[in-house]
Order: sequence, then C-alpha cells, then structure tokens
Amino acid sequence: MKLQVKLTFYNAIFQAVIAVAIGILLPIVIERVVYNHIDKRLHARAEKMMKIIQIGGLDDIIKDQECSYGDYNIFKEEYVSISPLSSMPANFGKDTIENAEVNIENTVAKHRVLSRGFLYDNQLYKIEIGEGLSTVEQLKLTINKFTIWMVAIVMLISILMNMTLAQLLLMPFNAIITRKLKAIHHPNTFIEDHIKTSTYEFAYLDQSINEMMIKVKNAFQIEREFITNVSHELLTPISILQNRIENILSESNLPHEVALKMVESQKTLVRLSKVIKALLYISKIENEQFLRNEKVNLKAVTEEVLEELEDRLAQKDIRVVQSWDEEIELSNCNRSLIHTLLFNLLSNAIKYNKEHGEIFISSSHPDNHFQLSIRDTGVGVEGNHLPYIFDRFKRFRPDDEMSFGLGLPIAKKIAIFHDIKIEVKSEMATGTEFILTFLTIASR
Amino acid sequence: MNVLIVEDERQLSHEIEIFLTKQGYQCDVAFSGKSASEKIYVNSYDFVLLDIGLPDYNGFSLLKEAKQTAKESAFIILTARGSTDDKITGLDLGADDYLSKPFSLLELQARMQAILRRKHGLKNNTIEINGFILDIQNRTVSFNNTPINLTKKEFDILHYMALHKNRVITRVQLTEHIWGDVLEEDYESNYIDVHIKNLRKKLAAYNNADFIETVRGIGYRLNMAS
Repeated sequence: MKLQVKLTFYNAIFQAVIAVAIGILLPIVIERVVYNHIDKRLHARAEKMMKIIQIGGLDDIIKDQECSYGDYNIFKEEYVSISPLSSMPANFGKDTIENAEVNIENTVAKHRVLSRGFLYDNQLYKIEIGEGLSTVEQLKLTINKFTIWMVAIVMLISILMNMTLAQLLLMPFNAIITRKLKAIHHPNTFIEDHIKTSTYEFAYLDQSINEMMIKVKNAFQIEREFITNVSHELLTPISILQNRIENILSESNLPHEVALKMVESQKTLVRLSKVIKALLYISKIENEQFLRNEKVNLKAVTEEVLEELEDRLAQKDIRVVQSWDEEIELSNCNRSLIHTLLFNLLSNAIKYNKEHGEIFISSSHPDNHFQLSIRDTGVGVEGNHLPYIFDRFKRFRPDDEMSFGLGLPIAKKIAIFHDIKIEVKSEMATGTEFILTFLTIASR
Repeated sequence: MNVLIVEDERQLSHEIEIFLTKQGYQCDVAFSGKSASEKIYVNSYDFVLLDIGLPDYNGFSLLKEAKQTAKESAFIILTARGSTDDKITGLDLGADDYLSKPFSLLELQARMQAILRRKHGLKNNTIEINGFILDIQNRTVSFNNTPINLTKKEFDILHYMALHKNRVITRVQLTEHIWGDVLEEDYESNYIDVHIKNLRKKLAAYNNADFIETVRGIGYRLNMAS
C-alpha cells in the first residue's frame, strides 16, 4: 500500500474514532449542562414559591376544595402544582429532581420536575415545579444531526487534505528515487547533489544514498586502477619471457629438442597472456570502461566479421546463409565490442560446426524488438550444459584441451553492456542457435 | 638505423636490444623518462620505442616533448596498460604505431619496416621470391604478371614470412600476427597449417613453392637468397 494512502487511511480511522467519541460524548455533556441550568432554575423557583407562600399564605393560592393548586403557562412548558400530602415523605425538606411524563390537560409531555415537601399550618404539602423538556429534546436531536454532518464533512476535507499533504511531503522522496537511484545506470554517472527538502528523514536518506554511491564509485575507481595495475604487473613479465624465448629460438646453433620445448613454452605463455587479456577485457566491460557512443550498421559489421573469418569458413566448407528483413542501425553502442560479440558467436558457430555445414544468420521483429539469430548445424550442446554455457571457466568437451571458453562469457558481458538479451537453444547433433534481442539500441 | 629503447623494465629492454642489434640496428637504451628525454635531445634516432608506463615521467608528455625535439624520429608506443584510450591518445599525439605487451619481436620489426616504407615513400614496394612478386602496397601477388588469387590471411602470412625470410617463424608467431587482436584461445587449431597448405598449393600452380619450408614441430621458414 502506498505510504500516501496509508497515512490518509490511518488518519481517517483515527479521525473516525474521535468523531464517534465526540458524537457519543457531546449529547451527554450537553444534556448534563442543560439539566444543570434547568435544575438551578427550578431550585430558584421553588425558593420563590416558598417565599410567596410564607408572605401571602397558602390559602390565597389554594382556592379549591381539594386543597391543591396548579398553574401552567400557555404552552405547557412550565407548571407549578401544590398538593396536600397524607404522610411524611422520606426525604422531607430535600428537593428531588427527576424526569417524568406529566399529563397536563390531557397532553402528556416530558418534564423535568422538582418536588419538595413542606409543612404549612400543620398540614403536609408537596410542591412540584416542572419545566418542559421538548425544547431540550429538540436541541439534542439538532446537535446530533449537526455532529454527524460536521464529522462527515470534516472527515472528507481532512482525507483530501491528507492526500495532498502526503503527496507534497513525499515529493522529495520520489525525487530521490528517480534521480538518485533509477536514473543511475553506473556509479560513474552519479552526480553528488542534494535534493531540496525540509524533511529531516528525506535529507538523511539523500545524504545516505550520496555517501553510499560515493563509496561504490570509489570501489569502481579502485577496481579500475587495479585492472590497470594487474595488466601492467602481469603482462610485463610475460612480455619479457616471450621476447626471451623468441631470442633463444633465433639462436643458430639451438638443438632441435630445445627448440621444441621453447615452442611449447611459447604456446603456454601466449595462452597465459590471452587468459589475462580476456579477464581484463571482461573486467573492463563490467567496469564500464568502454564508451557507448557509436552508431553501427549491424549487417555491415556482420559482413566484416564474416570476411575476417572467410578462411575458417572455407577450411570447413561452411556455407553462410543470411536473411535480413531490413538494415538495422544500432545506436549508443561500441563498435569494437559489437564486432567482438559477433566474432565470438560466429567463430563459435564455425568451430563447433561439421564439415560442409551451414550457418544461418537471420533477423526478425517479434514484439517490436529487433532480433538476430545465428544458428549452426554443428554438434550442439547437451541440455544440462546449456545453462552454464556463458559461465567463465566452464568446459564441457574433453577434446577442447586448450579451450578455456572465454569467448561466450565475453559475448554475454558485451550483450549485457548493450542491453541485448542473449539466449541459446541447442539440440544435440542438429546445432546450436544464439538469439540476440536488441532491447533498446536498435532502430529501423 | 638508430633505435632508442625507452623501457624501465631492464630485462625487457635487454631482450629487445639483443634482437634489434642482431637485425643490424644500433641500439641505445634509456631506463627512465629523464634519461630518455636527454638522449632524444642530444642524439638523433630513427626509432624511439617508448614505454608509456614509466615510473618518473608521464609517457604521453614525454612523447609530446620528444615530438618537438626529434621531428624526424618515428615513435612506437609500447604499453602494458592495454587500454584503447591510451592507443588513441598515443596516435593523436603523433606516435607512428602502438604495440601492447606482450608483443612479438618479429611483430615489432614488421611494424618498424612498415613505418620506414611509409615515411620514406619507398618506390620499390615489391618483394620478389622465386619469381613471385609481392606488391606490398596493393597487397597482391603475381607471377609473370598473372595475378594469383590469395585470401587476405594468406597474403599476410606470405608477407610476414618474406619480411622475416630465412628464419623460423613459429605457429604461435604467425597466429599472433594474423589473429593477434582477437581474444581467442584456439592455439591447437590447425588454421595456420591449413593456410600454409593452401598457400603452397596456390603458388605451386605457377612455380616451385618449395621455398616455404616446414620446420618439424616448430613452424615455417621462407628460404630466400638475400
């Protein structure tokens, strides 16, 4: 779930809880406050009534036979009633206040009623003072409705605001991801700048990424220097030995047996230097020491490689069948690497082909990507070896004594460097097919 | 021909010196950039073999400087750094050629001769072997004005052997010359033998091609009265 949504969601839940709590508590509080006011009023009125009775006497008030009195205002919102009591109530002298349904002239309405017992002229009386609650009930209803609406509107506004705010807050985060991580294909292209943000955490993240990338960049730089040093340190002694062997071989009175041994040493030495060079080459590709700034016509390079290999093709009498549906131009690539890639695949196709065999070079366009297939009619590769065919130092054929198989690993590295997908299919005794899919660099 | 070998690795400069002296070159050796700079200033050399990775001097600035003082000299860069950028920089600064270590001494000599031919615009750009005429410029071989159809590689082999006539060239040396740029490990392959076989066959159709001699277990030699 997106952080933005999450933040909004949690906020909404939190606000809903608060809203519900307010919705429940508010009416209760209001009720209590209102009752409190009413009660105060009722007490005041009771006192006032008692004073009137003391000054004017009860007899003036009670005129009827039943010795009771009732007075209501016209809307039946308030009333006073005095009635004689036959026995002493338990809480004599104290006021009791309660809500009661009171029937006033055939209309039942909820009232808050204060009742108090008192003694007048040796007779027990009860005075009741009531105040109608219909307005209060109305008020409660109104407040409840208002609360619900209010909560709904506030929640809606708050969700919208939260969404916008979260997006605004997360803007530097998105900037960090796109500019500092996604756009960086190689540490060397990393630019150490700061994303504008006032959020401490994002500044911290930005800073941490910067620090990490500088470390990675340095590691690459160290590797680069290491590669240069290794080439120098290893190739110089090889160079000495190779030239010495050449000088020994040119000595006129050299016994033939010694010469044979020297030739063997020469072979070993060349092999050693080829391995080192191949490994350095791979390291350099991985370290991105090759530029990708050239345009290449793929067909032209293929022709060039085939011309280079014409003798080998002739020696095995291999026929090359080409079918290009159109000329393909590659951009953002390194010509010499593309050349090596095709050379390695084609020389492989010759090497493991049979006499009078064939090599099919064909282009196609599945899924809008340009594809080049190089298929031979050779011995094929066993299925269980196929996944390792691009691994360094894997050798499958025992007769391949001198081969340490770096041609295909190099091809793979070049392919990765150029965003080319390289796949291999093979069937024993039928042949092997290499398929290159140019994901980004091909254009028609 | 005077050659200055600028190489801090003494064993290596020694081997180069032995080889070139045998080939009739006058050799001088400098083990540091400073001494090289002085020597180039004082003496005039036909060739300066310059190691780019000198301990005391940036090889490229030495090259730049030396190009000023010794305008007539040909410069061949020797490097073990093996970077294509180095090659481009070197050639841009006016070096005549570039060899990455390890290189064959025969290759060095071939490059030196090629530079000489280029520099002095030699009119006689042909080599004659037993009636076969090698045209170096146009890379063709003919016999009695009849062109012989050789592949590029066959011509290269014949030319290389002619350059190093009367000495044994090992299969490794020939392979390195022809396929040197390619990072291949196929040294047991019989490509060279097949090339030689085809070459002999093509030449023998016109005249005796016995001058290409097989030296058992080692390689080939082109015999030619000098």
